Amino acid sequence: MGDAPAPAPPAPAIEVSGLRKVFRGRPAVDGISFSVSRGRFFGFLGPNGAGKSTTIKMLTGLLRPTAGQVRIEGLDLEADLLAIKRLIGILPEELPLYERLTGEEYLQFTGRMYGLGREETRGRTDELLEFLSLTEDRRKLIVDYSQGMRKKTALAAALIHNPRVLFLDEPLNGIDPVSGRVVTDLLRRLAGKGVTLFFTSHVLDVVERLCEEVAIIDRGRIVAQGTLDQIRTQREVGRDATLEDVFLKLVAADVRREDLSWIA
Amino acid sequence: MDRLIALVALRWKLELRAMRWAPERLVGLLIALPMLLLMSAFAAAAVFFGVRSLAASDPEVLLPLASLGATVVGLFWLLSPLLTGVALSETHDVTRLLHFPVPARTLVASSLLANLIQPAVLAKMPVVLGVAVGASASAAAWPAAFAGVALSFAFILAADQVATLVLHGLFRNRRARDIGLFVGLALGFVLSLLPLLFFAAGLPRLGALRRLLVERDVFVLSPFAWGVRAAIHAGRGESVAFAAYAAAATAALALTMGVAAVLVRRIHRGEVDLGGPSAGVEAPPARMVLPGAIGALLEKDLRVAWRDPALKATALMGMAGPLLFLFFVFQARGPQGFGRGLLLVAAFVGASSFGGNALGLERRGIALLLSLPVERWRVLAAKNAGALILRLPGLLVLAAGALVASPAFLPAALTAALCAAMLAAGVDNYFSILFPVSVPEPGKSLASGGRRGFGAAVLGAFLFTGALALASPFVFLAWVPVLLGRPALWLVSLPLALAGAAAVYAMLVAGAAGLLERREPEVLERMLASAGDA
Repeated sequence: MGDAPAPAPPAPAIEVSGLRKVFRGRPAVDGISFSVSRGRFFGFLGPNGAGKSTTIKMLTGLLRPTAGQVRIEGLDLEADLLAIKRLIGILPEELPLYERLTGEEYLQFTGRMYGLGREETRGRTDELLEFLSLTEDRRKLIVDYSQGMRKKTALAAALIHNPRVLFLDEPLNGIDPVSGRVVTDLLRRLAGKGVTLFFTSHVLDVVERLCEEVAIIDRGRIVAQGTLDQIRTQREVGRDATLEDVFLKLVAADVRREDLSWIA
Repeated sequence: MDRLIALVALRWKLELRAMRWAPERLVGLLIALPMLLLMSAFAAAAVFFGVRSLAASDPEVLLPLASLGATVVGLFWLLSPLLTGVALSETHDVTRLLHFPVPARTLVASSLLANLIQPAVLAKMPVVLGVAVGASASAAAWPAAFAGVALSFAFILAADQVATLVLHGLFRNRRARDIGLFVGLALGFVLSLLPLLFFAAGLPRLGALRRLLVERDVFVLSPFAWGVRAAIHAGRGESVAFAAYAAAATAALALTMGVAAVLVRRIHRGEVDLGGPSAGVEAPPARMVLPGAIGALLEKDLRVAWRDPALKATALMGMAGPLLFLFFVFQARGPQGFGRGLLLVAAFVGASSFGGNALGLERRGIALLLSLPVERWRVLAAKNAGALILRLPGLLVLAAGALVASPAFLPAALTAALCAAMLAAGVDNYFSILFPVSVPEPGKSLASGGRRGFGAAVLGAFLFTGALALASPFVFLAWVPVLLGRPALWLVSLPLALAGAAAVYAMLVAGAAGLLERREPEVLERMLASAGDA
């Protein structure tokens, strides 16, 4: 009785090799390579200015890499940009929403842009607004929304076409704990349904709770990648070390800790 | 004093840094400087000779007229951000400095002092000198006369500061800001038409105005005028009157700065809430009625434009150009030759679509637009259609002019305008993609949206000529029946012109879409960088 051949591992949802971006002679992202399997909740961490947002912009086709290759769901980013845009959803850190549309109009517009029919767009809009507690404010202009409401509107727009890969740049920045819980619950449910999530955040305990795998980028280079256990083993930190401990060990080794002389 | 010097130095440093980081601004300033100096010298000479000849020939008019002039200049300076959307001098945002332990009066004084080095302010100095020297009978009176005019000018800057602070306070409410911007820009548009009405009514009105000015001298009550009146009295050697007006002008200046200091303190600490919180008025239920991606994009653009006060006002102001053109054509050619002139005006009205920068109107939204999986030709077609619809007021003026003066030319004029508009918009797409730049936010200065630089200006001129060349065969088709004296030919020539222009337009958009696909990340990067300046 011969062994049945092992099933081929699923192709990665995101494949990055040698990705590099140089601004005015300075590398913001310096030849990074990694892959994210389908349906994974992937955390992409790093201190300010490490290259996280630049990487997300390159992965979503909003910034041209200086060098390197990106494949999303098996499609080449340079050759199939429009097809990739149909598959992905993006929640950028800065929210370029059309402020003179209402939240409801904005979602309907986005649905139409992704090729959804009128009825389908309307139905999904209603559901998203309800789920994200925006129903009451659906007819207010986005310019009058709070930061949390804008974030939820942008998230709704990123989800309306049921993307297979979702890029989230600091989705929890600037929102209150209640909205934060709504967003994290939603992300968990999406991950449970097989959506690949590429997630950056400074809130490390949230990343630790949500993400199955993380990569840590510092000064444009990936300094660690894997599950938290794998990184603990690689970096020889204790088994009870938190993600924050690991992160600080990796990227903050040269933080100055001397006292300021004039402070009593 | 240390803090005052530090604050003024900070402002100057920021201005210089802004130029260092955006060399095109420096280049723009260097290019504009000779023109600015020339215009300033011309204005100074005109004011000098005007004041000098009036002082000799009609001395009783000088004081009232100078008072009127100072008041008009002062009011326009104050209201320029509202009337034109562009501030003549940009008052420093002192709210960022309020957390420092610095008295509000020091902040206000530093802002006023720092304003003095702005190019627009420096350019007025020769004019100030021109008035002072023109009003002086002898060289001995120059210093006092100059001090008087300078007092008026300083009062204008101080009053501008107060106006800006009031507007800041008022515009904390989004709806108040929208209404203020729209009403201001619309008012500015109406005021810009006043010279036209004045010339149309004829010069005899000048006599009546002179009588009103001299007999009533109402502008003696205007604090803008007190410094200038002091200067004129100094020039005449009337020292008591000079001292009285100079004292009044100084008091007005001090009072205005005091008001500014109080406003700074109170508005920004919420003690005086001019606008109140934004109520967030609800819009009707969302209904996107137009079909397809082009329809949705077009509808989005039109809704945004309707709710954006600056865009709405700009659309309204689009009537000014055609109105002026039609007025001058009618004056020059009379009713008989109006029809032929109308076709030319129509072609220019259409060609003015060039420079519309449809992509730039997206501002930061460009990141969103380019993240959408929509074919780029659809994006461009929708943006162009939106831009053309926003030009409808201008086309309506053209149509009204044609209907009133020469109804037979109406279809030909509209066809010529449409053909030229389509092709100019198509060519402008290339310009927008090759030199992407964001349109300034509503109410921000034109310089704040980023600039394209000198090379772009040269290529822009070249492309505009190209757009005119592309449009000319189709405009000519609309004209042929006039040349041949056979209007019936319009039944053939007009559809032919429209179809031909549409075909060329389609080719232009297809090419521009390919270019956009190739340059998308660069377009995005440059557009966002310029939107960040805004």
